[in-house]
Amino acid sequence: MAAEQTEAVLHLAKATRRYGNRAALDQVDLELEAGEVYALIGRNGAGKSTLAKAAIGALALDEGSVRVLGADPSSDRQVRRDVGIAPQEIALYPHLTVAENLDVFAALAGVSRTERAAAVARALDETVCTERADERLDRLSGGWRRRANLAAAIVHRPRLLVLDEPTEGLDAETRLILRGLIDGLRADRAAILLISHNIEDVAVLADRLGIMEAGRLIVEGRPAELMAEAFGGRTELVVRLSEASPAVEAILAARGLAPSDRGLCWRGIVADAFTQAGEIEMVLLWNGVELREVAVHHPGLDALIGWATGSPERFGEA
Amino acid sequence: MILVMLRVMALGLLRDRAGLVLVFVLPPLVFIVFASVFAAGASGRLDIGAGVVDQINSSDSRRLVDSLQRRLGGRLTRSPDVAALEDAIKSGRADAGLVLHGDLSTTPTPVTVLIHPGRKSAGEILVAQVNAAAGEDLAELMFRRDVARLGPILALTPDQVGRVTGVSIGVAPPPFVAERILPGGDPLLIYYAGAVSILFLMFTAMQGAMTLIDERAAGLRLRLGLSSGGIAPLLGGRMLWLIGLGVVQAFVLFVVAAVIYGVPLLTNLAAWAGTAVCAAAASAGIALALAAACNTRDQAQPVSTFVFLILAAVGGSMAPRFLMPEALRTLGWLTPHAWVIEAYQAVLWRGLVNRTVLEAWAVLASFAGVGFLAALCLEGRRRL
Repeated sequence: MAAEQTEAVLHLAKATRRYGNRAALDQVDLELEAGEVYALIGRNGAGKSTLAKAAIGALALDEGSVRVLGADPSSDRQVRRDVGIAPQEIALYPHLTVAENLDVFAALAGVSRTERAAAVARALDETVCTERADERLDRLSGGWRRRANLAAAIVHRPRLLVLDEPTEGLDAETRLILRGLIDGLRADRAAILLISHNIEDVAVLADRLGIMEAGRLIVEGRPAELMAEAFGGRTELVVRLSEASPAVEAILAARGLAPSDRGLCWRGIVADAFTQAGEIEMVLLWNGVELREVAVHHPGLDALIGWATGSPERFGEA
Repeated sequence: MILVMLRVMALGLLRDRAGLVLVFVLPPLVFIVFASVFAAGASGRLDIGAGVVDQINSSDSRRLVDSLQRRLGGRLTRSPDVAALEDAIKSGRADAGLVLHGDLSTTPTPVTVLIHPGRKSAGEILVAQVNAAAGEDLAELMFRRDVARLGPILALTPDQVGRVTGVSIGVAPPPFVAERILPGGDPLLIYYAGAVSILFLMFTAMQGAMTLIDERAAGLRLRLGLSSGGIAPLLGGRMLWLIGLGVVQAFVLFVVAAVIYGVPLLTNLAAWAGTAVCAAAASAGIALALAAACNTRDQAQPVSTFVFLILAAVGGSMAPRFLMPEALRTLGWLTPHAWVIEAYQAVLWRGLVNRTVLEAWAVLASFAGVGFLAALCLEGRRRL
């Protein structure tokens, strides 16, 4: 049992992939164990999707290696059956029903004919799709399609599951269903690589979090620990003005806020945000600048990425 | 995996009503249009319309007009004068015109046929019909003309001439030429059945092959790439589907040709099937290679249309190859179309599986093989 708990389902070593002079993946080391959810975040173009493709063997590496359950997924057909992916796009056949799609992907993953019906029924049940099983995909709403997309990724019970923005555009109910599903898969000892921009998903689901920038995995850790390290007890302060005012720019900047939206929005991670908010209101009033909104909330993933990449000017880090 | 892909493709077509019409209804309709044009010429039916001006209005001229009216199936219309007739020909209301301007029994050339420079064949058909009508339906008139012409040469007296022309010869003289139509199908109908078939096979195959592009765009390739067999069975399943679909499409078209126009499909069905399989395989190979080479549907659509229309024009799908200049005919052998047409003609018209047919099958199989390998290579090298 102890040996099973430390089993590496996914192992990337010095994984590097270049497109011309640009490294989409640069010396990435990553290990993912059975029953672990690893969240991957980063800006657009940071290399998250490239890493996901490399992890399932869909991308040839220029350097380094990838192993899934000890085998190279790009050449070992058997191990590919243990991998599932739910891409960000709805990667299903629109002219087939949900059940037919699941049947197709179960068959392609090598599920035997006798086991297929049960596998499809189980995946439908787990994603709460049973009531729409016989409807064509192109006649379903976005939320149902996303559930079906996820069902197709798990229909063959993969031991490594890659989820690319699985909750994008979902309503709260579906989001909860999905979180429950991921919890269930984790309990079944599946290793899950989760690419997400949703701070709640990451906070609730992820055991570990990795931040990518320019093809490199620059920060890794447990989400709560990383947030604490990055922000301590500080929170995000957002100030929106009715009109841009040069008179208050220096004052806001001195308090650690950075402008966006042509000077109409100022935000930053600050200590004692509520006190600062009151003071800023007074300063704006004194300068005759109309305040549209002042808000205080927990820092999001963008702020965390800004902290990790050292670009506070963009993400408002003070 | 191949069976799974076949099922996916089949369900895709079965649930696409517009696609079904394009695949199974449009090709026979286009063939019927072509066949209606060319079968008329081959069967001897005359579908020209002509105008006539009878300036003589004698019993002979009226008999000639009546005879022509029957021969042209009622498509002979009277014009009040020559100017009106010329106007009708110029405007296309009549294909050719006929002016009866001299006494039919005595004037050396009593009839003139007016011919539009762009429709000379219509004029020639009308001339032939006038001669046939005069020789067969107005035999006595022609006899009188011969006597009038030969009288001076033979030094006949007026009395002799009167006695000779007074004799009723009763029936038309026996024809100088007899006709015998050999058994077998109309080669032009078989030609166009083959030509239309390969033209639409290409477009049908391309529609099917473009699902490759759709799969890429939808991210399906990433998921399909995890399948245990890799890319070859995915393409192989698609290739098999396109071949099967192409054979069924060709069969529907040839059944229509057989039922309506008597194309002898059943006389050499096995050889027909061999040709249909090779033609469908060549189309599938080319279409898959094009789809694999293109990044988007927006790119594939015009590229394939351009390629297929050029191949069709050069290969003889649009105009008969025997009407083409020699250089173009030679160039046509570089297209699958010419080989498909040649093979169908050989097996259905000549009833042979000769060297030409075997060569055609080999060439078409080569198109299929090279196309499939190119698709495998191109698709395998794509970034997912």
